[in-house]
Amino acid sequence: MATINATMSLSSDIAESAISVSKTMTMTKAGSTTGLDKATGLIRKTFTSTNHVDLLVGAASGGIAEDVTKNKAAKLYIKNVGTDSSEYFIIGMGKASAGASEEGYDQASSTERYCSIGRLYGGDWMLIPWDAEDTNGYGDITVKPSVATTMTAEYMVFFE
Amino acid sequence: MATTTASLTITSSDLVGDALSLSTTNNVYKAGTTTGLEQTTGIASVYLTATTQIDLFNPVRTAAADAGKNSWIYICNNSEDETEYATIKISNQTVGRLYAGDFMWMPWNRSARFVDVSLTPSVATGMRIEYGLFYESLEHLASTDARTFQDE
Repeated sequence: MATINATMSLSSDIAESAISVSKTMTMTKAGSTTGLDKATGLIRKTFTSTNHVDLLVGAASGGIAEDVTKNKAAKLYIKNVGTDSSEYFIIGMGKASAGASEEGYDQASSTERYCSIGRLYGGDWMLIPWDAEDTNGYGDITVKPSVATTMTAEYMVFFE
Repeated sequence: MATTTASLTITSSDLVGDALSLSTTNNVYKAGTTTGLEQTTGIASVYLTATTQIDLFNPVRTAAADAGKNSWIYICNNSEDETEYATIKISNQTVGRLYAGDFMWMPWNRSARFVDVSLTPSVATGMRIEYGLFYESLEHLASTDARTFQDE
């Protein structure tokens, strides 16, 4: 068993009364106090097109997420390591189009299910739980760079 | 201009052969700028006593002015029971589970599609959730209730 601690500090003067949040979580296996003990390592990937592609494929055979058990307690960290505040990655979930446009969300079509989560501009990071659902690619994590000049992301999955 | 800063440190001395230490920090800005976000819901705390799926944050109307603007979401499950979790969904697709003590921080670019962010507690015995939204623009719908209540 490993001990992985993630501490987030959030501060803001956005309101008259300052906001200050500090949280530490110890990443544990689903429903237990046993720590997560697997990780992909910190991956650095460069993109040179604006195509909408998979970053992580849920429970993919032979893929980087091959060992991630779905519906557990995996955590996913992604960062846009660029410094340009106008360039961003669109992070999404579901089926990647592999083309220049995002796949549309279509509840009625099990093969086209996709939704955008949000944009990571230069320097932005995110940390989310990841379900790694493998049914029809619903749980795939996708990325779409905003420009075709070089953009780089770093990401890491902690899992059981 | 407001400054909102989010920092993260991930450490482990025994996950891999050498100690793991990752630190990052950034300010959150309006889309495509270096101007800080200026609005927030604040950090709310709710105590949920049903396993009903609820919307924490709603999508925008079609062609609303704030569609596509930048937002950031913070959610934390403050339960102390390691078996309890909150399932987080976006567009009714499961993102993942926040177990007791887990938090998440993610961007959210609101659109007129069904990109609501929802949460479902795993138990009905009571679960305290903290959440907040830092945003660039949020449309407040005009009230449709024009009734006047008079003294009885």
